[in-house]
Amino acid sequence: MQFEWTPEQDAFRHKIRDFLHTNLPDDWEKFSEHGPASPALTAFAREFCVKLAEAGILFPHWPVEMGGEGLGPWEQQILAEEMWIAGEPRGGQYMNVNWIGPTLQKYGTEEQKARYLEPITRGQSLWCQGFSEPDAGSDLAALRTRADLRNGNYVINGQKIWTSYAGLADTCFLLTRTSDDRKKGITIILVPMDTPGITVRQIPSLIGEGDIHEVFFDDVTVPETARFGDEGQAWEIVAYSLRNERLGIPRFTLARAALDRAVAMLQGEGRFSREYVRIEAARCAALCEAAGTANYAVVQKRVDGLAIGAESSSARYATVMAERAVCEFVIEFLPQALAGASPYLKMHHQRGIVAGVAAGSAEIQLNIIASDVLELPREPR
Amino acid sequence: MQLALSEDQTQVLDFIDSLARPYASLPMHDVSLALESADLDAALVESGFLDVLAVEELGPVTAALVVEKLARLPFAVEAAASAMVRPLIDPDLPRPLCLVEEGRTGGPVRFLRPGASVVVVGLSGVRSFTVDAGMIAAAQEDTLYAYPVAFLTGLPDAMTVHDVDAGEVLRAWRVAVAAEAAGLLGAALAATVTYVSDRKQFGRPLATFQGMRHRLAEDQVITNSVYWLVLRAAGTGDSGDAALALLHAQEAAKRVCYDYHQFLGGMGMTLEHPLHLWTYRLKLLTAELGGRGEQGLAAAEALWG
Ligand SMILES: Cc1cc2nc3c(=O)[nH]c(=O)nc-3n(C[C@H](O)[C@H](O)[C@H](O)COP(=O)(O)OP(=O)(O)OC[C@H]3O[C@@H](n4cnc5c(N)ncnc54)[C@H](O)[C@@H]3O)c2cc1C
Repeated sequence: MQFEWTPEQDAFRHKIRDFLHTNLPDDWEKFSEHGPASPALTAFAREFCVKLAEAGILFPHWPVEMGGEGLGPWEQQILAEEMWIAGEPRGGQYMNVNWIGPTLQKYGTEEQKARYLEPITRGQSLWCQGFSEPDAGSDLAALRTRADLRNGNYVINGQKIWTSYAGLADTCFLLTRTSDDRKKGITIILVPMDTPGITVRQIPSLIGEGDIHEVFFDDVTVPETARFGDEGQAWEIVAYSLRNERLGIPRFTLARAALDRAVAMLQGEGRFSREYVRIEAARCAALCEAAGTANYAVVQKRVDGLAIGAESSSARYATVMAERAVCEFVIEFLPQALAGASPYLKMHHQRGIVAGVAAGSAEIQLNIIASDVLELPREPR
Repeated sequence: MQLALSEDQTQVLDFIDSLARPYASLPMHDVSLALESADLDAALVESGFLDVLAVEELGPVTAALVVEKLARLPFAVEAAASAMVRPLIDPDLPRPLCLVEEGRTGGPVRFLRPGASVVVVGLSGVRSFTVDAGMIAAAQEDTLYAYPVAFLTGLPDAMTVHDVDAGEVLRAWRVAVAAEAAGLLGAALAATVTYVSDRKQFGRPLATFQGMRHRLAEDQVITNSVYWLVLRAAGTGDSGDAALALLHAQEAAKRVCYDYHQFLGGMGMTLEHPLHLWTYRLKLLTAELGGRGEQGLAAAEALWG
């Protein structure tokens, strides 16, 4: 075992840092308070991702046959960490390079690959993920948005909710119901967001403008060729793509950076001497580092080509604990940070509070840990 | 020991209920982060509910009950400092009352606006001044705390000195904040219980999952404990009781704010459900008077020297 990065990995990290240093505007920290899905950041990302592509760091972890450099999971992790600490200047395009591209490559038709991969590699496309519905959140398999095949077209009716990026996305990775079988009746359709019959409503939220939406589908008609994979194959494909992004966002890195920033502010004000403040800060640091190592243990499995199971839920929950502790630390000791004194800490707060809900709730992770890590007997049904 | 409400107290709380009824639910179109109502404030002043502490048969426990009750409303009201601290300093200080700690004036100050009375409490004693626009810096517009907040840019050279013990003001301040927290805790719990009882996933109400039931049950226990510690602290006037009440309230706030936002799922991130009005006020109160560590030290000092 070895806990240091290789010189090559260090060099890769520095390359990204240098790039960010050179290419982010001076007022970036204030600017990044606009959430990742806001119009401002989306527009910024459209230019920024072009530069990333030119510098070869938009998708270096993709295999060579997809135009990438074939770098491994550690490099993908480093890239994700540096971007997230910086406030995710890629906006929603991080999804493109993490899982949409690789999933298109594996399951897409030639037509779909030709149509969708190229704009991703140019840093010009924005996707949204139409999974959750008003009555299908934690219980995703209860989703009801229907897609009926009529004369070579799918006619889609229903509603999605909490859809990030929907306001500005060009394409939706949409889960629909094509038969009554709970999981095997779910089918993916790639829907251009400018198709008639789609209405998007932004939901005002605590996490900044433009982040979450309701999306209504009213007789939205797309050709049968918009189907992704076979009818009923959605559950398998989603499991694959989420495996590609099993750890999701490396939130623990930003949590740690925010903690360091908060401590520096307290030190600057001469308020980092009380023991209880120091102990609380150390407790937060332990939780951040614990989340980091738990996440890295999962990355190691990917490096070794092993199947990733419920330990990713454990890593995700460790991350939620770290996010929670840092968010609470900042409010307890630096409440002014969220009222204008530190755009960076406010940005962290708004991204940190969703850690236990977005992409599957913390309590569902606990259920998975109980059943699949501890192998506890299940509750009688 | 007599822990039941007196007839007078019941009557006061009933009056507040009817006075506050129009403000108990939210205007649907209003998704602003900090919700206030000048009409409600005026009605409270006029009816004398903020002055019950000085009324002999009512006193500090009733004042705490009033503050707790008002804190349950979705509208933020500057009641705690006015009803529970102002009578000790000068009952005629113009409202709103903003309490700040000497040497720690850099934080967001609740209800700070031109014309407010700022009371500075600390080693130099208890001093106050009426603040004008020149000494106020606005907070960021989309501040999440659900209270109107602003920053003080400094303190004036001349302030009114009040002949009152700073320790005594600090004690009352702790009870006042804890009383406000007690109401916020109660309202947030009620809203969460309603939500998870109605919301179904996996074919059953969320509230039927035991993992959630146990956490909510513990949340009830600490919410209830805060209520009683607050009333006791108000009743005894003891500084150790005051520190314990606020310590427990701040511990409780940290715990339930996390739990309730979890339990509401995506809905808890919206401004469409009122949960944030109570939780983000609670979050700001976790910072009051230096946070849990400071209350813990004060309590230990009072209990064991
Ligand atoms: C910022 C943000 C961005 C999002 N982006 C997207 C997106 O782009 N696309 C998309 O499709 N979805 C998105 N989501 C939705 C997200 O996946 C759901 O919010 C999540 O799956 C939880 O579903 P829910 O909100 O319906 O909560 P519910 O399913 O109603 O659950 C509420 C709470 O109940 C508890 N709970 C539920 N089931 C159990 C159980 N069995 N045992 C114990 N407790 C339980 C948990 O505490 C849970 O948090 C986003 C959400 C957020 C907050």
